[in-house]
Amino acid sequence: MDAIMNVNFFVQLFLSTIRMATPILLVALAELYSERAGLVNIGLDGIMSIGALIGFLAGYISGNPFLGIVAGALAGIAVNMIYAFCTITLCAEQIVYGMAINIFAPALASFIYRAYFSDTSTVVQGVSMKPIAIPLLSQIPIIGPLFFNHPLLVYIAYLLVPVTAVFLNKTKAGLNFKAVGEYPKAAETLGVNVIRQKYMASTICGALAGIGGAYLTICYTSTYSEGIVAGRGFIALSAVIFGRWMPGGVLLACLLFGFCDAIQIRLQLLSPGTPYQLLQMIPYLCTLIALVVFGIKKSGPKANGKPYFREER
Amino acid sequence: MKKNDFAKLLVPILSVLAAFIIGGIIIVCLGKNPLEAYGFLFKGALGTSSKFAQTLEVACPLIFTGLAAAFAYKCGVFNLGGEGQFIMGSIMSIVVSTQLGITGVPAIIISVLAGTVVGGLWGAIPGILKITRGLNEMIVSIMLNYVATLFMGCVFTNFLRDGSVPQTPAVPKESQIPNLSDGFRVHYGIVLGIILALVLYYFLFYTSRGFKLRAVGLNATAARFNGFAVNKIILMSFICSGAIAGMGGSIELHGKQFRLMQGYGAGFGFDGVAIALIAQLNPIATVVVAFFFGILRKGASTLQAGMKIPTSVVDIIQALVIVFAVAGTALVRLPQVKQFFRVHFTGSRKGAEN
Repeated sequence: MDAIMNVNFFVQLFLSTIRMATPILLVALAELYSERAGLVNIGLDGIMSIGALIGFLAGYISGNPFLGIVAGALAGIAVNMIYAFCTITLCAEQIVYGMAINIFAPALASFIYRAYFSDTSTVVQGVSMKPIAIPLLSQIPIIGPLFFNHPLLVYIAYLLVPVTAVFLNKTKAGLNFKAVGEYPKAAETLGVNVIRQKYMASTICGALAGIGGAYLTICYTSTYSEGIVAGRGFIALSAVIFGRWMPGGVLLACLLFGFCDAIQIRLQLLSPGTPYQLLQMIPYLCTLIALVVFGIKKSGPKANGKPYFREER
Repeated sequence: MKKNDFAKLLVPILSVLAAFIIGGIIIVCLGKNPLEAYGFLFKGALGTSSKFAQTLEVACPLIFTGLAAAFAYKCGVFNLGGEGQFIMGSIMSIVVSTQLGITGVPAIIISVLAGTVVGGLWGAIPGILKITRGLNEMIVSIMLNYVATLFMGCVFTNFLRDGSVPQTPAVPKESQIPNLSDGFRVHYGIVLGIILALVLYYFLFYTSRGFKLRAVGLNATAARFNGFAVNKIILMSFICSGAIAGMGGSIELHGKQFRLMQGYGAGFGFDGVAIALIAQLNPIATVVVAFFFGILRKGASTLQAGMKIPTSVVDIIQALVIVFAVAGTALVRLPQVKQFFRVHFTGSRKGAEN
């Protein structure tokens, strides 16, 4: 019981909450941009896995974690462009195509890994991003290590939340963007290029989801393994619903899911007698419960998930 | 009508061809001869009657998860939880056949039934949450997949552990599903899968309940205005879908795997979804596509043994087929493309009229 009462325990717990929430947050913001432009992308898991692999490889080859992150983003965009082309231009069903990406991208990722490292039995150690301590602020007891001593990507992820909120609600570009997800026909008559906005949304979505994947292999662990994404794309998807399609809400949802992940790991250490699989269920069960209690379908963008036929009356 | 059928058949065939061509390019990049590789692939899967039988055995669980996905999507709901339902069905059925002390044919029947029921119950959860709380059934069913997989881990490492190895005890010899014949090593589950596909086909296209289910899938609002109990039909389709996957799990357990261990059932759910989509939700086509996936999976191991090409090449081919098939299905629905088909395949006179 001593361990639980320890202040250090709580600091560690919240610290890992912040770190575990980061990938979910990045990917949830990706989905937020996509859905605000009317594109439901359930292929996030797939995009993350390719981002995780390419980010890992680029980091491993170049030895530079930042290059890894950029490569992860580019890979995410590349994969998401397949989705974008098929759903925007060919008007394929978004759900079905997201599923296709979920099957295709992990297969591609594991193939590239196996083709590159022909011996898959040894674990390859890649690069990892060093935390950057912010001068002065990181010296504050408790709060310092909690908030001001993280890898760069963590700061960026959390800063993206207010940036997104301002963009979507206060700028003309953001309002145009939202209009595409609410009522594309009206947006088009006002001179917004709906197709271009949707492609832009897909680019942002691919980049952020790719970075979210790369975070897992560059900041969280520095190794790649199959199934490293572990359904985080779907958890992010529910974070968007749970956060009511608003950046602030999404942040809260991600922190909750990050907390579940963090506490699950702590509990495994505290009670080695409990089958660890039961504890690993916590994030998934928590997602379910959060959805049951708070998830209401009605509040999403109105034209979400519907294909847009420009010439249709 | 004929033109439509033609396009429906053409899309999957062209997708498979395109996937094989790209797969061939990848194999060339690995420095191997693609034609030789595909020769190995098909010889490994279909070369002898015993290999053919093993391919059927590999295809068997895929038939069930494919049918499960197709059945739910016919009703307009996406059941991505095939894997979870498959696993929960298997867990129930291993409990029945190793813990209750019954053996032989009664044990097979009871445990497959129990697995089917549990699969159906597991499938009912996303259905209930969808109709009562309006939750996205995909997210719920995916979360339940992870819960089921972890629960299975718990079962084979703790509750039903067999000695020091993390796996459950095996299904007793007398309770295993027998093979079709001694020389032909494939169990009766495949027969059951094919019968099930025929039954589902009849149900969906020749009964009024099946019609209602399809009507809900095509346009739930219209179906509701027609006085159909839409929520009840959706829930029923979820339960049936889960039950099919659960039955598949029990049969796989009693026919091929015999015990639960790490990695059991992994990937069957998503493969089932892919199969259903390529088969365009037709139960009979699902069996054919599942068999094709069986060829790829069985052939992949020969490919690795014979030519040192990683089996994941086959995963990519499989994934490309779905990527192309879905895009192709959307493509032929585009107005411009429809017009093209109309003009070039059914005579220009009719094209001019429309």
